[in-house]
Amino acid sequence: MNHSPSAVQSGTGTVLRRIGLGGITGSPVAFAIALGIMALLLAVPATHNDYFQIVFRNILMYAAMAYGWNVIGGYTGYVSFGQVAFFGLGGYCSAVLSANGVDNLFADVALACVVNMAFAIVIGIPVLRLKGHYFAIATLGIALAITDIVANLDALGGSSGLAVHHVDEAHFYIYYYAMWLVALGSMLGTYAIARSKLGYAFVAIRENEDAAAVLGIGQTRYKVTAWAISGMMAGAAGAVFAPANGFLDPSIAFSVDSNVFPIVMAILGGVGSVAGPFIGSLILTGTNELLQRYFISIHTLFFGAMIVLVVLLLPRGLVWLFGLKGGARAWLKALTAYKA
Amino acid sequence: MQLLAQDLVNGILAGGILAVVALGFSLVWGIMNIINLAHGAFIMLGAYLTYQLFQSFHVDPFLSLPLSFVALFVLGYLIQRFLINWVARAPILTTFLLTFGLSLLLVNIAEIVWTGDRRGITTVYTGVSFTALGVTVPWVKLWTLLVALAITAAMQIWLTRTKTGRAIRATSMDIGAAQLSGVRTPQIYAIVYGLSAGLAGVAGTLIALSYALTPTMGDPFLIKAFVVCVLGGLGSVEGALIGGLVYGIVEAFATQIDFTIGTQHISGSGLQDAIALIVLLIVLIVRPTGIVGKATA
Amino acid sequence: MQYRSLLVTALALAFAVGGSSAGIEPVAAASDTIVFGSPISLTGNLTKEGHLTQEGYDFWKNYVNAHGGIKVGNKSYKVDIKYYDDESKNDTSAQLAERLIDQDHVNFILGPYGSGTSFTVAQIAERKKIPMVEGNGAAEKIFKQGFKYTFGVLSPARRYLEGILEMAHSQKPVAQTVAITAASDAFSQEVADGATAWANSHGMKVVYNNKYPDTATDVSSIISALKQQNPDLILNAGHVQDALLVQKGLREQNVQAKGYGYTVGPDTPDFVNALGKDANDVFGAAQWSEAVKYKADRKGFYATAPEYAKAFEGVYHHAPDYHNAESTAACLAFQYAIENAGSLDPEKVRDALAKLDVTTFYGILKFDSRGLNVYKPMVVNQIQNGKLLTVWPRGLAQAAPKYPAPPWGKR
Repeated sequence: MNHSPSAVQSGTGTVLRRIGLGGITGSPVAFAIALGIMALLLAVPATHNDYFQIVFRNILMYAAMAYGWNVIGGYTGYVSFGQVAFFGLGGYCSAVLSANGVDNLFADVALACVVNMAFAIVIGIPVLRLKGHYFAIATLGIALAITDIVANLDALGGSSGLAVHHVDEAHFYIYYYAMWLVALGSMLGTYAIARSKLGYAFVAIRENEDAAAVLGIGQTRYKVTAWAISGMMAGAAGAVFAPANGFLDPSIAFSVDSNVFPIVMAILGGVGSVAGPFIGSLILTGTNELLQRYFISIHTLFFGAMIVLVVLLLPRGLVWLFGLKGGARAWLKALTAYKA
Repeated sequence: MQLLAQDLVNGILAGGILAVVALGFSLVWGIMNIINLAHGAFIMLGAYLTYQLFQSFHVDPFLSLPLSFVALFVLGYLIQRFLINWVARAPILTTFLLTFGLSLLLVNIAEIVWTGDRRGITTVYTGVSFTALGVTVPWVKLWTLLVALAITAAMQIWLTRTKTGRAIRATSMDIGAAQLSGVRTPQIYAIVYGLSAGLAGVAGTLIALSYALTPTMGDPFLIKAFVVCVLGGLGSVEGALIGGLVYGIVEAFATQIDFTIGTQHISGSGLQDAIALIVLLIVLIVRPTGIVGKATA
Repeated sequence: MQYRSLLVTALALAFAVGGSSAGIEPVAAASDTIVFGSPISLTGNLTKEGHLTQEGYDFWKNYVNAHGGIKVGNKSYKVDIKYYDDESKNDTSAQLAERLIDQDHVNFILGPYGSGTSFTVAQIAERKKIPMVEGNGAAEKIFKQGFKYTFGVLSPARRYLEGILEMAHSQKPVAQTVAITAASDAFSQEVADGATAWANSHGMKVVYNNKYPDTATDVSSIISALKQQNPDLILNAGHVQDALLVQKGLREQNVQAKGYGYTVGPDTPDFVNALGKDANDVFGAAQWSEAVKYKADRKGFYATAPEYAKAFEGVYHHAPDYHNAESTAACLAFQYAIENAGSLDPEKVRDALAKLDVTTFYGILKFDSRGLNVYKPMVVNQIQNGKLLTVWPRGLAQAAPKYPAPPWGKR
């Protein structure tokens, strides 16, 4: 049985190439639209509707995490099932700072970035030597292990967790804007990477790691960098989330949702593009809210059905739709491209 | 010393179930390159089928093993043929997403049909055990292990000695060449997926003997299946078995770690997942393709 | 191509905005209805308990509406409860609470099921200054934050196993050694801590004390380890799933103790159905049982436990368990507090809740300064011949506790 790791990686790469995904930034139109929506989102706190604020703050949070995943999973081709570890660590950084009297969002994010970068480097050097499926499972294991370890550490509150100081109701919007900045930073950071030598190196590793090595692209260095960047994006989101939520425990910090949703969003929106993760986050969160409202106890059923439909009808994500040439016919043809 | 021996036995017995769970999962992953997140739901359906047969018709769970297999095989075959096949050759993430949605569907349907009540199966032999050499062995768990061994052997033979089995292996090695030799890929894929579902159904039946049934019962087993497959070696039948046994034994011995430093309690059983990860990483560093996995081409 | 992209974008935005604003209909929900909001676990791991909670709430609602509603001053109000499904997830529950308050403009919050969810929702209630009464989250951490707007009608987690320990301590032969196993979640850990503290301060030795993850699929080795210590009393703090695993495991490895006690499990019919004879003689900690001899000192609802149970069974076709009762009790707390306050103003109702002191079919409803009901004792039930009977405290018991337990196979 041949399941050589390079076969896994070049599979994704060849496909992305074949569908003509514009360069590695994805459709520029999509990107412009994403930025436009981001600008619109600045107005949300002005509506004075707290619930709106929470929903869109979550959209921004998941977008940042999806961007994080996109860097290591989408561009570099190393599918990670453990990004939530970074998110949770970032959150706990804020919690620990808060417990020690420091309630500054900048400090929170800065510490989260430093800690996650260190974590990515230390764990990344051995773990990134694994390829494909093995790497994926190792990251899953890391996420599970961290949850256990934190839940068992009394110093971090164990399974009861830690309270995190947060501002009063009147100033609540600072968390919204902080998250907005984190999301924007992730989006622009992704764009900068995609247009730089770094992005080129990442994609080269994804397409054909051995060939990249021959070309002189020192793999370990680039892979670890990719993972560190991923970690920092997710960690920053976590660092803002913790004080916004007011409380953190292992089940919230390392939740399955936080692990799976960003991946789903990145795929839905379009893996390896600049606008994809954000669009994916918008749609998924919005749909979830709608379903919650109208199908109170069977909304998960409809959610599952929706995901199945979307995968079948949009196998390459939404952003792909932006760049598709040929209209409906081309779309129909694409639907059968993956049939066995 | 006796406790360690008991732990070893406990671990092997627990590993048997994990092996059966991992076997089907590993097949689909290794041969079709699909991470089937619906595997947990198939396990659950097999368990509920056994439960219904037991409740309504008094069919002994062990006798319902072939029924679980067949019913889930058919379900899996149909799901692959008419749903998953559309994206069978898509990147692994696409099918990951599809099976994720499928899993949500199946679990929620189960919640509607059977509600969240926890159900269990209690037969005359539930809880009965024998003691040998100071070690207690529950009968049900022993039979489960034997079934696991038998299934593993049967799968291995089937894959290497039968025409279909060889066709499956050919497809996974080189799909183009296989097709040229007359192998009909959609058919093969459907069979493999059906087989995997059938094995999940069998696992569900075995699990139902010891574990409470709820619609989400498959989740913890699925997570462990991930690790067991990679530990043993993807796509390898013996790998699933060995991976399962190793995992079970590690978890069992982990409970020996039980001490306190100041007020901090260090509990091996509380840190099960962390310990499993450490073992996994050590194995992968020494043998990057798993214990039994073959070196990459 | 521009057109298509714009279309997709519009759709994306519409989803996001539409989804979150769905339900901004101004609450024309009449000015004669009190609306309660409740995020509960209608799906997910805790769906069974979530439904029990909903039954408890709805049973009260229907009774009140059929009996003239709640009197606020000299006006009668009907009651309505708006539910959302939190999928048994902590942060989802909190988010839904926000939605209920901001979008649906509910007057008050009825708590979700579970300590984790109750905790996150309590945060929201505190921030929004909307009173919340819950009956299904016993972890003390909920009440250690200095919240003023959350009240719990149930006895706190640390006390869960005390009743069983007390009972065992008073039997002959006296139980001297205890083994405790607990799931890793906050609630179960608190229960274990409380049990350990009680045992230590009453001369009982804790010979084994270990934990396992909520997702454990096998606990045989924990059981093997505790078997070696030969405990008189085996206690477990966890959930129905692990209670079943542990009990089966104890049977399989032939662990012979004098008493077996569980926090959750024995009180649910699932336990008996799943274990058959092996469930006999097991003790369960309960917040309430049909046998408790309280008599309400106020009108407006069923006065005694048996009356409540009979009426409840008539509607839902199953005997109420304590999850049903404590949920109804949470509603009663609101009912009496609102009547006392004579107003629907959140602050006044909150103050009325803080001063509440009333006896109901469920027991006393009174909160300490933290919002915890420390005044109500836990009850101990035991499964005798497949039936759940209250055996402790003596004043409330229907039957004497059967202790020590006979060997396996002879139950």
